[in-house]
Amino acid sequence: MPAKPAELVQGTLDMLILKTLALEPLHGYGIGLRIRQISRGVFQVNPGSLFPAFRRLERQGLIKADWRATENNRRAKYYILTEAGRKKLKHETRDWETQTAAIARILAASMGEL
Amino acid sequence: MRRLRSVLAGFLALFHKEKSEQELREELSSYLQSSAEEKVLAGMSAEEALRAARLEMGSAEVVKEEVRAAGWENAFESCGQDLRYALRTLRKSPGFTLLAVLTLALGIGANAALFSIVNTVLLQPLPFKDPSRLMMLYEGLPQVGSPKIPFSAPDFSMVRRGQKSFESVGAIQDKEFELSGHGEPDRIIGARVSASIFPMLGVPPVLGRFFRPEEDAPGQNVAVLSYGLWQSRYGGRPDIVGDTIELDRQPYTVIGVMPKHFVFPLPGPRANFLPAALWVPMAFTPAELQGWGLRYDLSVLARLRQGVTVQQANSEGQALGAAIESQYPQDVLKDFYGARLVLPVFTWGEEVRGPVRPLLLVLMAAVGLVLLIACANVATLLVSRAAARQREIAVRRALGATRARLLRQLLSESLLLALVGGGLGLLLAFWGKGALLALAPADIPLPQNVGFGPGMLLFVLGISFLTAVLFGLAPAWYTAGADLQQSLQEGGRSRSTGRARHRLQGTFVAVEFGVALVLLIGAGLLIRSFGKLLGTDLGFDPAHVLTMEIPLPAQAYPRAPQIRNFYQRLSEEVSSLPGVKQAGIADDLPLQAAVFHTMEIEGRPQVGKPPAVAETWVLGNYFQTMRIPLREGRLFTPQDNENSQPVVIVSQRMAKEYWPGQDPIGKRLRQEGNQPWITIVGVAGDVNDGPVGRPRQPHIYIPFLQLSDSLTADNVVGEARSMNLALRVAGDPAALASAVVARVHSLDPDVAVANIAAMPQVVSSSLAGPRFNTSLLSLFAGFALFLSAIGIYGVLAYAVSQQRHEIGIRMALGARPRHVLRFVLAWGTRLACLGAVFGIAAAFALTRLMKGLLYGVGATDPLTFAGVTLLLLGVALLASYVPARRATKVDPMVALRCE
Repeated sequence: MPAKPAELVQGTLDMLILKTLALEPLHGYGIGLRIRQISRGVFQVNPGSLFPAFRRLERQGLIKADWRATENNRRAKYYILTEAGRKKLKHETRDWETQTAAIARILAASMGEL
Repeated sequence: MRRLRSVLAGFLALFHKEKSEQELREELSSYLQSSAEEKVLAGMSAEEALRAARLEMGSAEVVKEEVRAAGWENAFESCGQDLRYALRTLRKSPGFTLLAVLTLALGIGANAALFSIVNTVLLQPLPFKDPSRLMMLYEGLPQVGSPKIPFSAPDFSMVRRGQKSFESVGAIQDKEFELSGHGEPDRIIGARVSASIFPMLGVPPVLGRFFRPEEDAPGQNVAVLSYGLWQSRYGGRPDIVGDTIELDRQPYTVIGVMPKHFVFPLPGPRANFLPAALWVPMAFTPAELQGWGLRYDLSVLARLRQGVTVQQANSEGQALGAAIESQYPQDVLKDFYGARLVLPVFTWGEEVRGPVRPLLLVLMAAVGLVLLIACANVATLLVSRAAARQREIAVRRALGATRARLLRQLLSESLLLALVGGGLGLLLAFWGKGALLALAPADIPLPQNVGFGPGMLLFVLGISFLTAVLFGLAPAWYTAGADLQQSLQEGGRSRSTGRARHRLQGTFVAVEFGVALVLLIGAGLLIRSFGKLLGTDLGFDPAHVLTMEIPLPAQAYPRAPQIRNFYQRLSEEVSSLPGVKQAGIADDLPLQAAVFHTMEIEGRPQVGKPPAVAETWVLGNYFQTMRIPLREGRLFTPQDNENSQPVVIVSQRMAKEYWPGQDPIGKRLRQEGNQPWITIVGVAGDVNDGPVGRPRQPHIYIPFLQLSDSLTADNVVGEARSMNLALRVAGDPAALASAVVARVHSLDPDVAVANIAAMPQVVSSSLAGPRFNTSLLSLFAGFALFLSAIGIYGVLAYAVSQQRHEIGIRMALGARPRHVLRFVLAWGTRLACLGAVFGIAAAFALTRLMKGLLYGVGATDPLTFAGVTLLLLGVALLASYVPARRATKVDPMVALRCE
């Protein structure tokens, strides 16, 4: 049994979806799978969170949908990152990096550095 | 931008719901298949893989629900769902729904009907151009207690010339006309208005034009018709403009017609408030303009100049007052008794609304309280229902509905009830408004403008929402929050939740009783004061008295001898009619506000407030006809004529006030302006001059035959040509009317007899205002009493049915029926007493507001308070008795077995 999947940090799911789609357009299951694979099974996103997120991002114009054939020749809804989505991802990544770096510094702090 | 896109997408989703649902389904099944394929690749069998994938995904419905919830349109949709669900639930219990909807419809309807009047009268600006700058001007002698006097013609023309605060100033005077030509002669109420008045009001005519300034002069006979007169008398024919009509037997050219809803003058100000059927130019005669101190009967309207405040206009009025005073002839000025003349300025809107505001506010408060009671009643019903629904609610909560979600659901039900009630109420108001206005006293302005605009819809909608929250929130909170475990286990018969429910219902009922008590006390005070009004001794006997006005046109009767001659002959002619017992003639009748004059009394120094005295000119057997008793001295005889010594009869009140402890017979007094002294020959009983309930004023009676020629024939004073005939008859006064009119026409076929009325009717219509207040407030109070009786009955009946088990045990253990009876009765009484305590306290605070509507009763009249409280407690006891009886009939065996 793999270790219990970690809870996603609040608000990060959108960013992860955008990042996944920045590599290539994918359908819903593919996105979930990709997140699981890249995180080496730490993040397991269930459809109950995934699909509402798609709907949200689509509404905001960050991704758009396109019905395409899968590698097994089935119809599936593929999501594509839009220009607005790309910008948003860049923005969010920068914010995220600043924040995590700061958090890392705080966690690594020892008495001597103060 | 992004938000806008989301909103648009939401709308699209709403309208293409099927398509987006279809896509979602497809997307989810594709997800499932991909997941299963993945697992097959990992070595599972196809069947196993699909099952595992399904398990992983969880319920597809839940996912769908969550996706839907991501869009804003979902909230909107679930609202619709709630309403549909509410509709279904309400349909399942038609009895409850009907009762709740009707209760609310009555409450909301009463509020809407009254609000339509309040809206037009108190909230809307007057229907004229820029009404906030329209001002009413008065003359005032505040030092002698007369702050608001209508203008006299010379004073008005000085103001018009001297003022700088106003763009324009105009005068209005009521004038009755005999309208002839085109059919039967008719008495109509018209008005003389300055040429500046119509442009000032800014309402254009529908036909023709207004007066030109040069037409505001004697001899220019032009007239503007009201829409109503144009329609009724001239059939609305468009060629009326340019046509000639006859007013007081003089030809007038019609130059314009005003629009349908144009009403002018408006009620409210102290003079000139009768809506006119036609308008003629003011056209002051030279005699009027020289009539210093003679006749104060002009309403003056002015439009404030831009940038000038009311205060500035008022201070200019002080200066103008002093300027006018300096022009007064010395012998007239002494009638001011040393007071300084000022010209106060008031906004016209306030002058119109002020007098009716207290009445309307009291009534509005009353219907508000009725609605509050209706809310409390529906709330108790809802709480009772909550019991029946406890299982349903508990199941829904167990399945994951949050308290907030349930609250929303239950409030949707209340909202639906309130909206249906509101819609029905609007219909009721639409019908009720007409009835209300028909009852309303004449001083409510602009009744024809009372309508149902968008403002009304908004009001009803708003009040429906408000009531929904008011009656729905507490029960919904209570229902949605009921203890889950207990409800499921005990099926809603748990004792503790039962207690909470009874307490909540008890609170509602107590509040209801309190509010009902406030209304009942208000109504009780009005009823008592109305009873006092009915019981007042009027000072005369109205039964079997027929009255009518016999006005004479100045053209045919220019001089005093002709006028005297006509009325004297009239009085003799009608006396000989079969069925007529007595006949008399007077210039004004009891209950019609008599004309007041200031008098000079021999030997009394002219300082302080001048004696204001009602004056009536009488001819024939007036005192005998009205049965006004003679207390001292003698009545007038035919020998009291122009050739004999001038005499007067004074009222008891007058005698007591000016000759206390002395014999007034033989004392002398005189009119202002150095008229000859007149000697008192008799003292008559007091009569109500004004509306019933108004304090009586000193009164004098003067023989018509002794009036000086200058008073009778002078064009300025027209009263002498519009005398009233009063007849005491044997049977029904109305039956004799046509015979009397025929007798009048035998003297002059062209006289237009007006205001034919039996005196009892006059008395009754003089009580129209108080009757309106009393009947309306009583109606509301009765409704409130009825509702609260139903409320207490409902709560107790419900509680008894819920506690059959407990009652059964008690009876099995030996409780007697009378113990049970007493137990339930005590419960009802306790609730009513609780409400009564609260109600009496509230009534003490609130009835003070209606002091102005009361006559002869204090606002905290202990008798009313006690009587009404007892009545209410009696009703509570009665309403409790039925359920109490039912409780005693509980069969212990049945009650215990059904558990």
